[in-house]
Amino acid sequence: MPPATSAPDAPVAEGDAEAPPVPTYRSLAAPVSNPVDKFALLPAFLKVRGLVKEHIDSFNYFITKGIKNIVRANNRIEARSDPGIYLEYKNIYIGEPSVQVDFRVETITPHFCRLTDRTYSAPVIVDVEYTVGKTHTQHRKPSFTIGYMPIMLRSYACVLNGKDEAELARYGECPLDPGGYFIVKGAEKVILIQEQLSKNRIIIDTDNKGRVIASVTSSTHEVKSKTVICMEKEKIYLQLNQFTKAIPIIVVMKAMGIETDQEVVQMVGRDPRYADLLYLSIQECATERIYTQQQALQYMDDKVTYAGAGNIKDGRSKLILRDVFIAHVPVNNGNFQPKCIYTAVMLRRMLDAILNSDTFDDKDYVGNKRLELSGQLVSLLFEDLFKTMNTYAVDRMNKNSDMARSSPLDFSQLIMQQDVITSGLERAISTGNWDIKRFKMHRKGVSQVLSRLSYMASLGYMTRITPQFEKTRKTSGPRALQPSQWGMLCPCDTPEGEACGLTKNLALMTHVTTDQEEGPLRNLCFSLGVEDLSLLSGEEIHAPGSFLVMFNGLILGKHRQPQKFANNMRTFRRSGKIGEFVSVFVNEKQHCIHIASDGGRVCRPLIIADKGRARVKEHHMKELRDGIRSFDDFLRDGLIEYLDVNEENNALIALYEHVDQDGVQRSSITHIEIEPMTLLGVVAGLIPYPHHNQSPRNTYQCAMGKQAMGNIAYNQLFRADSLLYLLVYAQRPLLTTKTIELVGYDKLGAGQNATVAVMSYSGYDIEDAIVMNKSSLDRGFGRCIAMKKYTVTSEKYGDGISDRIAKPQRNKDGVLIKQNMRV
Amino acid sequence: MERSAAGASYQRFPRVRIRELKDEYAKFELKDTDASMANALRRVMIAEVPTVAIDLVEIESNSSVLNDEFLAHRLGLIPLTSSGAMSMRFSRDCDACDGDGSCEHCSVEFHLAARATDSGQTLEVTSTKDLRSTDPKVCPVDQQREYQQALGNVDAYEPDAAGDHRGILIVKLRRGQELRLRAIARKGIGKDHAKWSPAATVTFMYEPDIRINQELMETLTLEEKQSWVESSPTKVFDIDPVTQQVTIVDAEAYTYDDEVIKKAEAMGKPGLVEINAKEDSFVFTVETTGAITAYELIMNAITVLRQKLDAVRLQDDDGDLLDLGAHLTGG
Repeated sequence: MPPATSAPDAPVAEGDAEAPPVPTYRSLAAPVSNPVDKFALLPAFLKVRGLVKEHIDSFNYFITKGIKNIVRANNRIEARSDPGIYLEYKNIYIGEPSVQVDFRVETITPHFCRLTDRTYSAPVIVDVEYTVGKTHTQHRKPSFTIGYMPIMLRSYACVLNGKDEAELARYGECPLDPGGYFIVKGAEKVILIQEQLSKNRIIIDTDNKGRVIASVTSSTHEVKSKTVICMEKEKIYLQLNQFTKAIPIIVVMKAMGIETDQEVVQMVGRDPRYADLLYLSIQECATERIYTQQQALQYMDDKVTYAGAGNIKDGRSKLILRDVFIAHVPVNNGNFQPKCIYTAVMLRRMLDAILNSDTFDDKDYVGNKRLELSGQLVSLLFEDLFKTMNTYAVDRMNKNSDMARSSPLDFSQLIMQQDVITSGLERAISTGNWDIKRFKMHRKGVSQVLSRLSYMASLGYMTRITPQFEKTRKTSGPRALQPSQWGMLCPCDTPEGEACGLTKNLALMTHVTTDQEEGPLRNLCFSLGVEDLSLLSGEEIHAPGSFLVMFNGLILGKHRQPQKFANNMRTFRRSGKIGEFVSVFVNEKQHCIHIASDGGRVCRPLIIADKGRARVKEHHMKELRDGIRSFDDFLRDGLIEYLDVNEENNALIALYEHVDQDGVQRSSITHIEIEPMTLLGVVAGLIPYPHHNQSPRNTYQCAMGKQAMGNIAYNQLFRADSLLYLLVYAQRPLLTTKTIELVGYDKLGAGQNATVAVMSYSGYDIEDAIVMNKSSLDRGFGRCIAMKKYTVTSEKYGDGISDRIAKPQRNKDGVLIKQNMRV
Repeated sequence: MERSAAGASYQRFPRVRIRELKDEYAKFELKDTDASMANALRRVMIAEVPTVAIDLVEIESNSSVLNDEFLAHRLGLIPLTSSGAMSMRFSRDCDACDGDGSCEHCSVEFHLAARATDSGQTLEVTSTKDLRSTDPKVCPVDQQREYQQALGNVDAYEPDAAGDHRGILIVKLRRGQELRLRAIARKGIGKDHAKWSPAATVTFMYEPDIRINQELMETLTLEEKQSWVESSPTKVFDIDPVTQQVTIVDAEAYTYDDEVIKKAEAMGKPGLVEINAKEDSFVFTVETTGAITAYELIMNAITVLRQKLDAVRLQDDDGDLLDLGAHLTGG
């Protein structure tokens, strides 16, 4: 056997030999080389990301891109009477956080707002073009403030963004404070992460009657709808709120122009088992004597719930099919083909599930979940308010144009009503009530006051995820620990009781994606050999060996070499040509490739491994230690990539590079964890040796760690919280975990290291209590300071007389001048 | 006075032998008495021997980072020289004043004024440097030590006397911060607050009575002896290099851990050694905070204990125990 080191057929020798050498007796006996210590990646990751980067990222996305998209989509308003009178938004951006005092603009800092019960907000500035009067003279007005928006701390618009410790101290801010919250009327408000089911994805499930259903919640900028296809008595129906009764699915297909039954079956798939299952549905349609599109539409028209103004039912159902039924699938120029194929795919997946119950979707699977962050929530709110402001302006203009006025009215005067946006945003964030009729959204408790009980409590708040559905659901399913939560959501940190398992917390390295532009990605897919849907016949779609390519829930087309396509996409991602958060997931069971670039997916970074050998080598780590390389460089050089929950299914992730685990072939390992401890969250990370505890103990500690008294922030004595408990002699824990050092708990300790004598196994013993030494209490053990805020209004009586706050005055001998004064 | 226990006399005559006596440290034997007496003495030393400590702080100006209550607590914990505490009055019993510290019988006034001027250096406010007493007899212990040092009265055996002179840190001031206050020190006892306790540690142990069964011991080989000797976590036994006999080097190093007895049993030689605590003999170790000397602490403790016993004796047999109760709570 040749020596191990000289493998002649080593393909690409990069540094040291990448290909695993042929083992020889000597190579096996050689000492195992030390594994690369990759822990340093974790602090590097947290340095570039911060502890609550998902909040800040999402808000940054909103103020840099989202807000512009909203305005671009609604950029023109016109007077009804005279379309020549219009206003066009040319640009929108967020200014510097400031406040207007007597027509003077003053910049403000977060701490100033906390102390003066103000809102930390920045002006929303637009550049507008508008016409005035009958002559339609065009005017331009740059830098026009349409309202003030509360600003998330440490976001791009915040004065604290990118400041170092000394500068933060000058602003009265604690450098350990993670930001990611708002200050509204002096109160710190967090917009909690909301968990919901994926939008625009097919979910196959059973309903409470045990029927198989395929449901899609469609969500686009214009419409939101829910489409359910269900199977009842072996016949398949469409359920839609707009119809009084369930419509047989074959009727729907006919209404969309697929008139022959053969075509329907071809679209679903030629497998005779599908045809068998469809048989009764087809028969039902035939007994109703529906053969043509016209007949089908007529049949459906009769079942429309709301006939619209004028009570004309004719033609309603076609509009419903176009605008409501699986609304996210576009109908261009009356071409229903994409919708037909989509429906057929839904049917096919349903029938698959009936034939093989393995293919049911799991609603609790984290890959089917999306997290809604503050950026998205504020974005919805802003869109609503912006539209309200515009319609309000148009209404006023329409009313005014009827009347004769001395001076011509223009839109720039009307959108001046700053209150709509300013007060709307402020009210929603301070009350937590997201009531947006336009989007049928009525949520309570979206934002909450940031708990400043302890440093840990406020950190824990920022990573909390609240569920969308009602808490009273006693079902155990959603509460159970999901295997797909690994590394994404903390397995320990959940409350006890009512919300147990429903309220979750992010793990240490989790990232939540933001939306990414779809156009270029779609083009890239086609360039990489995806066959366009519109060019395919029903038969071809499900041809064996070819995979459907789904892009953000839409069917893009199909590909004949799915694995090759996926690999190409991943190569593009690793080389930074497409966004690092784009996920490519090959679903063998469904014969689908899912490409996702939508926001709200949870993902985490992993080290890429080639045949089980990590791409990150010792010299990379040395460069990191020397400060030449940052975490982003690791990403850019394709050493590390982000995987979302779905794509993790295509990966085999090893905990450590050097350990052979469970007889898994080393060459099949594709990724390696950066640091296994990151599967825990921030709060659970404080527990030393958590793997030696009974699991509920860790959960209890996660709830209690937040109650520990100690220091809250470096600026704690300059804060004006209504109640503040501080420890006089707070200590750093003697045993620090890695997480403690990363989150700065060793700098803002809570608690004291107590010496406890444990004795007496079954004598005069007590349970769950300790006897304290009085002298130690006298000497300062557990001594605390409670600070309370008292508010006094200094009244003004007019005539320049007003209350003034002063200290008690003494005369020369040190006696109080007024006896009712207290010192 | 007729007593129910009259007839049989339980009177004993305890003996004290001082082994070591330094300013702040003492080690002595107490013999011919029982554990109740020894423990009473120990507890009195910790909790009932009076000292002087700062009890009332009037803050005139405090722009430091620590709040007023925090500082007051820290000041209270500074040990003050209290040799005269026994003859002082408790301010609650003081007739000359109404307990606000305006009289010299019950209180000592302190002043502290410190201000960090514009130099960039952090100013450390310490008990040595900044706390000024109005009574030279009562001052922070480190000032006293410094004074003694200046006089050349330093005991040679106190090595740390040469070391840290910085005193007790009260607070650090940054540029522009100021601390001005008036503090009143009063007499008190450790039972009320630990700051009045003159004792750092007071412990006693039963003197062990160790008897080696030399006959049985001789049945052991040298290695066995060696391993038996080494089974004790503290150095109690040793082997005589000449006679190869096991000898007791330091009986008091024994911590009643039973390790050697267990070892002997494990070796199949129970009864190799017999260890008993001498129930009427105690070894005391006393360390003081420096407020009073160890000698004073012991003597004052005996005085206090005697006063307490007097209070019991002066009681009528059928009388209520109110006075005693008052004494116990008040000292």
